[in-house]
Amino acid sequence: MRIIIIGGGEIGYALARALAPNHYLHVIDHNPAAADRFHALDVSFVLGSGTSASVLRVPHVESSDLAIACTGLDEVNIVACSIAKTLGATKTVCFVSGDDFLGSGGGGNSLRDHFGVDQTIWPEAQLADDIQRIIAAPGAIDAESFAEGQVQLLEYRLEVGSPLTAAPISSLQLPRGIVMVAAKRGDTITIPRGDTHLKAGDKVIVMGRGDAMSAMDAKVAPSGRSLRDAQQVTIIGGGDVGFRLAQLLDSRDDVSVRIIERDPGRGEMLAATLTSALVLNGDGTDLELLEMEEIGRSDVLVSVIDNDERNLLASLLGRQLGVGKIITRVSTLANLRLFERVGIDVALSAKGAAVESIVREVEGGKAKVLAVLEEGEAEVFELTVPDDYPTTTLRDLATPPESIVGTILRHGDAIVPHGNDRIEPGDRLLVFCTDASSDLVRKFFASS
Amino acid sequence: MRLAIVFHLTGTILRFLGIAFVAPLLVALYYKETADAVGFVAAGLLAVVAGQALRRRIGKREWVLRRVEALAVVVGTYLLVAAIGAVPYAMAGLAAVDAVFESMSGITATGATILTDFGSFGRGLMFWRSMSQWLGGMGVITLFIAVLPRLAIGGRQLFFTEAPGLTDGGLAPQIRKTAAMLWRLYVGLTLAEFVALMLAGLPAYDAICHAMTTIAAGGFSPNPESIMGYHSAAVEWIICGFMFLAGANFALQYRALLRGQPRALVTDDEFRVYAGIVAVATIALTGFLLQTGTATVTAVRTGLFQTLSILTTTGYASADFSVWSEQSRLVLLVLMFIGGCAGSAAGGPKIWRQVLIARYTLLELKKTLHPRALLPVKLGGKVVPEDVIRAVLVFLLFYLLVFAICVCVVVALGADILTGVTATTGTLGNIGPGFNQVGPLASYAALHPISKVVLTTAMLVGRLEVLTVLALLRPEVWRSLTLRAD
Repeated sequence: MRIIIIGGGEIGYALARALAPNHYLHVIDHNPAAADRFHALDVSFVLGSGTSASVLRVPHVESSDLAIACTGLDEVNIVACSIAKTLGATKTVCFVSGDDFLGSGGGGNSLRDHFGVDQTIWPEAQLADDIQRIIAAPGAIDAESFAEGQVQLLEYRLEVGSPLTAAPISSLQLPRGIVMVAAKRGDTITIPRGDTHLKAGDKVIVMGRGDAMSAMDAKVAPSGRSLRDAQQVTIIGGGDVGFRLAQLLDSRDDVSVRIIERDPGRGEMLAATLTSALVLNGDGTDLELLEMEEIGRSDVLVSVIDNDERNLLASLLGRQLGVGKIITRVSTLANLRLFERVGIDVALSAKGAAVESIVREVEGGKAKVLAVLEEGEAEVFELTVPDDYPTTTLRDLATPPESIVGTILRHGDAIVPHGNDRIEPGDRLLVFCTDASSDLVRKFFASS
Repeated sequence: MRLAIVFHLTGTILRFLGIAFVAPLLVALYYKETADAVGFVAAGLLAVVAGQALRRRIGKREWVLRRVEALAVVVGTYLLVAAIGAVPYAMAGLAAVDAVFESMSGITATGATILTDFGSFGRGLMFWRSMSQWLGGMGVITLFIAVLPRLAIGGRQLFFTEAPGLTDGGLAPQIRKTAAMLWRLYVGLTLAEFVALMLAGLPAYDAICHAMTTIAAGGFSPNPESIMGYHSAAVEWIICGFMFLAGANFALQYRALLRGQPRALVTDDEFRVYAGIVAVATIALTGFLLQTGTATVTAVRTGLFQTLSILTTTGYASADFSVWSEQSRLVLLVLMFIGGCAGSAAGGPKIWRQVLIARYTLLELKKTLHPRALLPVKLGGKVVPEDVIRAVLVFLLFYLLVFAICVCVVVALGADILTGVTATTGTLGNIGPGFNQVGPLASYAALHPISKVVLTTAMLVGRLEVLTVLALLRPEVWRSLTLRAD
């Protein structure tokens, strides 16, 4: 694919690094100092403004397949996309940092209709949505949903005394409509079998219909500890992510939100906009404030300051005070693993997720990758069974190892399969597999 | 303060007021009450001549109306209108103090009366009495802003000086258009009530008089027994409905009724509280009335009527509530201190202020638990700035101060305490009747003349929401007087 990246900042670099090996890339930036990093990746660098048609013509935008505008300025990104589209780029992707341009007010998508932007990505909003999904599943540490919310995927960390650790999986009596697709012990991820015996400290990933999932929480948590209905959520940092997350949670009755913001002016804006959230003016790393406000009693602490060190400190203080679940934003992708290793339940990166979603789309080909889990060690993708594919029962399907069919989507219904269920041509399958076997799985369905 | 500007604007408004006397003049002539007719001619001429005399040559310069001048124009207009409006009463035989009391009660849409023998006054005079309330209900200044294009100077300032509770005219960008829309709605509602009352069997004269005093939340009735005198359930229900509208924000009603946004009513904080207070007080009153053996339907109707009459500061009586049980009267006494909605014809401290103070107080409690929390007070989803909250608190303190002083004077001059308290809330809150000596079937006539003067002032202070008038008492205002226009 011929791809043009406008903007050589952090996102541009992450994209270039992920896409450079397999694609033909050009990066445009007006800052000559940015060039070295891209030359090191063996990517062509064009010096100039992405809003100039003559600069865009240098890497032949007219014959490019994809133009991604990811400078720090929304207006520049929009203009760049608009020009690229006019000059003939097949598809344009525009990064934005606010909802001013998302056209919710005037009805319709004004960016697409008037500026030739095919896809808009607002990383902070995506991150806030992700966090909100995780909070919505009280026991889980990660959550994804597919097929318009019909199918959910939840990740749990097993505690001492969890019913799931009592016996091998075959004798556990999981709720109907649920498949356990993965178990992770230490750094190894495996697809569990009937004789797998889970232990406290393991992470498990289950997939199933949304209505069945509510029964799952009770199965995972140690008996005697019931998950309260109303969750207390503390958000540290009222920036774009914190604000949007608070807005998403504010309208829900089952969540009570408090948000700690350091800047009094920003805090006042938050307090003015949010209806029921409690806005506190102070530093999220101020132990005295955290103790005074009894942050330790929160069910979830979300630390989304724009600074990794302070996020980590706030999160660890929260852990120390006894918060049940900690979700932390990570800006520097290299820190992701480190954060989870020191006891943060979920570490997420806004830019990382956005870059990942683009890479997934570019690399995915026919199989649509729906989710990448555990820092790329596993993924869920959607396959359509070819029309000439013979109808087979799932039991007889000799799928490659380390993969499992989690759900069959047929005529709009989500079927959580058993060994006796059959796969018919035209079905859409949600397949979970580890990274190592993903190529095998794709070939398996394509070839037979 | 440049007196030339103040005189000129007041004179312009006053001169125009002369025209208003044509209406009662025609009524007086129709009923062949020549003595009254002379009074209206005299008042009309006085208004035109005095207005003309006050007008100054101020040239075509762009004048910026200063705050203090806006206050002076509004207060001065009300004083002069009350004085000139008193002329017909005086010519019909009332003492000067009484005539001004009645006139002020009219123009401030209060409804407190010193009349004892209604029979001795002509229909023309009673019509003027009702009409003065109708002019004052929406606001004299608002009327002149709406009809006089040349009141371009400081129109906006004057509009908000007359209705200080309003932060936003809200209907049109130009204040003149907003004023015109409000008056159109006001006239429309009055006509609607007039027709409804006619259909309910009231004579045309009674119907128009009541329509004018209901929509103005005034409360004057040409009938000495007020609404009770008609013994008609239908009339009471109709008036209930229109009193409810008179006590609600007119701009909001304009949006809901004429712009097809009925949802605006549901989402408006103040309107919801208003409806809630009406419901709760009606239930309480109905309950207490049932205890005293009133029939159920009558109890509900009377409960609602009297709730609305007091809450919207109209002051009609469909029963002699002065003789009700202590509990019922307590409910009414509480209602007297609440008032109607901002931007309505109602007086009193107004519901939005009460809501604001309640929220502010509750948030202070929360602040005690969370010292670092940012807790803005919101009304209708919008943050209320600190200075508005302070102004509301100060308003309430001054309101109570004026209230206390008036009660002291009235009681010191011989009234009993309940009379003193309710006569003061009745006039300061622009309601009208109170209990005991000033009950709905009694009158303020028996009070000491000085009490009457004090209560006349209270009506003006209450109508213009206290601070407008009190600010003019500061010495710096008097020291800064100048006749020059620049």
